[in-house]
Amino acid sequence: MTVITKVQSESIKLHKMNYIRNKQIILNNILFEMNSDDFILMTGQNGSGKSTLLRIIAGLMKPDCFQLTYNNTINKSSWSSSKKILRQKFCYLHQTPYLFSGTVYDNIAYGLKHKGLKKVEVDNRVEEALSLVDLQHLFDRKSHALSGGEKQRIAIARSWVIQPKFILLDEPFANMDKHSRSSTYDIINQLKADHIGVVLTSHDPHSGELNFNRHLHLHQGKMVEKDTPLNLSSIHF
Amino acid sequence: MNDLSTATSQAFTLLLSGDAQLWEIIFLSFSVSFRAILFSAPLAILIAFGLSYFQFTGRRFFIALFNTAMSIPAVVVGLTLYLLLSRSGPLGDLKLLFTQEAMIVGQMVLCFPLLVALSHATLQSVDRRAWETAITLGAHPFRAVFTVLKEARFGLTAAVLAGFGRIIAEVGSSMMVGGNILHYTRNIPTAIALETSKGSFAQGIALGIVLLAMALLLNLLLMYFQGKGELAL
Repeated sequence: MTVITKVQSESIKLHKMNYIRNKQIILNNILFEMNSDDFILMTGQNGSGKSTLLRIIAGLMKPDCFQLTYNNTINKSSWSSSKKILRQKFCYLHQTPYLFSGTVYDNIAYGLKHKGLKKVEVDNRVEEALSLVDLQHLFDRKSHALSGGEKQRIAIARSWVIQPKFILLDEPFANMDKHSRSSTYDIINQLKADHIGVVLTSHDPHSGELNFNRHLHLHQGKMVEKDTPLNLSSIHF
Repeated sequence: MNDLSTATSQAFTLLLSGDAQLWEIIFLSFSVSFRAILFSAPLAILIAFGLSYFQFTGRRFFIALFNTAMSIPAVVVGLTLYLLLSRSGPLGDLKLLFTQEAMIVGQMVLCFPLLVALSHATLQSVDRRAWETAITLGAHPFRAVFTVLKEARFGLTAAVLAGFGRIIAEVGSSMMVGGNILHYTRNIPTAIALETSKGSFAQGIALGIVLLAMALLLNLLLMYFQGKGELAL
């Protein structure tokens, strides 16, 4: 199904990461590293800084202090050059995804338009993405007419179609019913099968269908690597 | 009351008879104001974007400055430009006084703060996630700016219309820097002022009707686009 075959694993390491807002330490000397085969669960209480960390990793928010190492070779400490790498490699999905005005097609094709693809190719990729999330029938539906669960799945398809190295999913199961949740598990497993590194934050204790290979826990600005998790159902939030 | 109805009926007769001089004034008026809004809007919207999306020292001061400049009287703009462009003024060598170019500059000065302030208010209300989503999907920051502007298009259109409304009806600046010269710088507001002072109310009212009709047309167009193609009358 996937058009681009990924063979080479890539790794990224952000260390000495600090983020302070209003004299409050949100992230304190964080070390975050992952490679494109990782499937990471990130936990932490509300307000522990999970979303902030994900946005920094995605190059959307500037930390006060950091150092970036990419593929063990490239080292960067300036934000302007680091954010370019981060933005190229990571795709971040908001807890409540934002869909642009226009149709579902317009949304999924958005990221492909920067790649200089021909229209036929864009159409094919959009079709593939829609079949991944099993929403082909919504091809020309206006984005504002979608339900919350559909929006979330379209947003994941929109990220998948550009084939990033890593996808950051911020509470993807929030406000989802059982059916949408189950179909989202399938989509996330497909990301894993496509060798896209995934970081997922979740408070959903009911999932037994996602098997992570790493578990990171944020607490009071510090991050701890926990024992390899199991699945979401066995984690105490 | 009788005078008003007589003048109004004469105004309609003038309009429908295709009076060349009247239509020349109407064309000139819209031509000058369209150019003024066309030259102002892109920069004003980009400044509004900068004020909405970037944090820098003095940002609030600039917002307050543009908000204050919205209420600057047209005649003050006209007087300032007159002093700058007059033969003895610092820009006198440009020989722009009493030209359409001077009128355009005056109208740009008038609509610019309004465009910035209203566009800023609109862009502030656009969901921040629109910018982040565009960036995370690989858009170049310039493309992301246009994506955000597209998301805010209805509010921005309303801002441009409000700016256009401000300048198409202003008389102070156009009169002072344009000089109300027939066939060259006479526009609707200056013509209304002149005709009224001469007692020719019919032509004044006819021009007033055109102004209102155009304003109505523009607003109906905006409603049409806001309603995504459905004109909810």
